[in-house]
Amino acid sequence: MSASVHAGSSQIVAVEQFSGSSAVLGAALAGAALNLRYIGIIASLSELLNGLPLRMKLLAIHITGDENWALTMSERAKSKDVGASFLIGSGLVLISVWTASTAGGALVGAALPNLEQFGLGFAFTAAFIAMARGLWRGYPNFIPWSFAFGATSAVIWLGLPKAYAIVAGAFCGLTASKFIRHSRGHEQ
Amino acid sequence: MTSAHWTLIIVLCFAAFSIRIVGLLAGDRIRLSRHSWILDDLPGLIIVSLVAASLSGEPFQTWLAALIALFVAVLTNHVIATMGIGVIVYALLSLFVF
Repeated sequence: MSASVHAGSSQIVAVEQFSGSSAVLGAALAGAALNLRYIGIIASLSELLNGLPLRMKLLAIHITGDENWALTMSERAKSKDVGASFLIGSGLVLISVWTASTAGGALVGAALPNLEQFGLGFAFTAAFIAMARGLWRGYPNFIPWSFAFGATSAVIWLGLPKAYAIVAGAFCGLTASKFIRHSRGHEQ
Repeated sequence: MTSAHWTLIIVLCFAAFSIRIVGLLAGDRIRLSRHSWILDDLPGLIIVSLVAASLSGEPFQTWLAALIALFVAVLTNHVIATMGIGVIVYALLSLFVF
């Protein structure tokens, strides 16, 4: 499942739903809906994947995960030499580690202590903070990013799943960005 | 594993990959349109939303570690350094402060 689906939160939710009701279609749809942010993530790779053969594009979008996508975009912001090779290479590492570690977790996970207290989960938060820093373009980012952060937090506070909150946050940020661009257009 | 398990994996695989295909097609359409600015802004906005999602509902300790990680990121602009120092700070706060 980890190798063919390659979507952590979707897999967890689908398995939870399936174990509760045994309804395959409902479980799969519930899991897939949590993956909607990948429309935006993959769309943002359009320029980077442009010119690749179709089979390589399909491989690249399958092995793209939050972490290697964010790392690729962050590094690409520093150097335009970072491109599809970086994305595919990091994606192959990511899907290999993801598949091996989930298999390992299924076998021996119950015997392990709570790794959260050692900061393992926080590593991803810290990594995303660093990647956001790499994409920071100064003050023009401030308002859209604030809207995205605030909207994501608000949606989670309302009790909706984090995956939907991320989509809502990105959408609100885009709306703020469009408004700012529109205002500047009128000023000039 | 039963046939229902395999069916779930196949259906979820198809659904998840279909979403990625939609993203690929949407990206190509947007890139060639007058809304191509969306593709420039989207990565930062999604990453900020990912950070907000991972911090939401977390205790003060996590926010403090995130602030220190942000400080390191601003100073170094280096992913590994920020991750390493962030995790060490988080672990130290867990063990000795909170």
